[in-house]
Amino acid sequence: MLTVRSKGRGTDAALMRAFAAGDTAAAAELYRRFASRVYGLGIVMLGNDAAAQDLVQDTFVKLWRSAGNYDAARGRLETWILLVARSLAIDALRRRVLDARVLERSGLRNEASEDPGPEDHAATADLSDRARRAMETLSDGQRAALELAYFGGKTSAEVAELEGIPVGTAKTRIRTALLKLREALEERQREV
Amino acid sequence: MRCDEVREQLAEHMLGTLDEIGDAAVRRHLRGCAGCRAESAALAEGVSTFARAAHDVEPPAGLSDRVLAVLEEEWAEAVPAGGPRGRGAWAARAAAAAALVAALTWGVISTIRAERFEEAAGRYETFLGVLGGEDVRVGELHAAGPQVLRGSAVIYDSKVGQSWVLVLVRAPGWEGAVNVTLVADEDVRIDLHPMEFGPGGEASTWLVTSSDLTAFERVNVWDETGLIASGHVERA
Repeated sequence: MLTVRSKGRGTDAALMRAFAAGDTAAAAELYRRFASRVYGLGIVMLGNDAAAQDLVQDTFVKLWRSAGNYDAARGRLETWILLVARSLAIDALRRRVLDARVLERSGLRNEASEDPGPEDHAATADLSDRARRAMETLSDGQRAALELAYFGGKTSAEVAELEGIPVGTAKTRIRTALLKLREALEERQREV
Repeated sequence: MRCDEVREQLAEHMLGTLDEIGDAAVRRHLRGCAGCRAESAALAEGVSTFARAAHDVEPPAGLSDRVLAVLEEEWAEAVPAGGPRGRGAWAARAAAAAALVAALTWGVISTIRAERFEEAAGRYETFLGVLGGEDVRVGELHAAGPQVLRGSAVIYDSKVGQSWVLVLVRAPGWEGAVNVTLVADEDVRIDLHPMEFGPGGEASTWLVTSSDLTAFERVNVWDETGLIASGHVERA
């Protein structure tokens, strides 16, 4: 059997190799570890439960189809999965914009509301509360830069243009925001 | 790159917003710098804690069954219904693959025809039938600058097993390692293992993967200075 040559090492690399080979236990383990963050990303970026569930399904399918691309030497598995999910969520948002324009031009109205239901409002409010506590240590500029880069996939040049700041400032704000978040949440964990 | 330059770009590297060449330069630096790797790990912690704080929500109870069912459909369709199986089939695949590699001598790539393959791989259709593959795509690599360079790339697309890529380059006088990347579009790339030029200025690299390579049409060869060579692959 031809084998995939992998630079991976450690538990995550072994998990992804097993997943790539179609191992059900490996798939279940990946789901257990990462589905909640992918689903939550869908809630935050796409705004409702149905879209968030679709995002989870699409993400895991894409992870399997591109499992051979995962290289543990290039970064954490979690980060790679979140970036895959984010890319799919951004694609979904773009399709929504296109669909809305088509509907508008055709004169048809979308009867299915995209507004989140009561349960979604509660989940989003809870998310917002946790996010606010975590983000309290950041300045407005740092928070805005991080959100644009993280949720929007914007480069530092794009963040700089959107925020009206130099590119170097944009880079610094994103970097500082991540480091401060790490410190702030580590302190909270120690306090608990 | 200096450490201060790399650390300026680490956050974008972490968030996946660096261009491929810049990202490759950062990765190269990280491989040899423990200090920057430590900062990279700290930033990864920041991303992780942000994700947990900002969007960690338990999904509905039935979603796991749905996702696993869909994955099982994917896996089932990745297994051939009536394709070659067993050790005999593997031997035939290996023989056909070896015949193809043997045919990729310098100057041959532009004249590949079905009749150049030997025996069981004597006809193009027979070759594909033995491998169970969809298509073989080939391309010549052309130098991006004034340097003398010739190269070839072959991509074998299979929907029933392993797809593979082979890249061969000859650049007299060239030394050291260069990078090779398959390109589908701006956001989708696959890095092959870097290839090292030998005394005769020849280098090669390869990739075997379960991934679908049909969208990848361009092969780029590059190093820290930029693009060295590139080529477009298409059906032979």
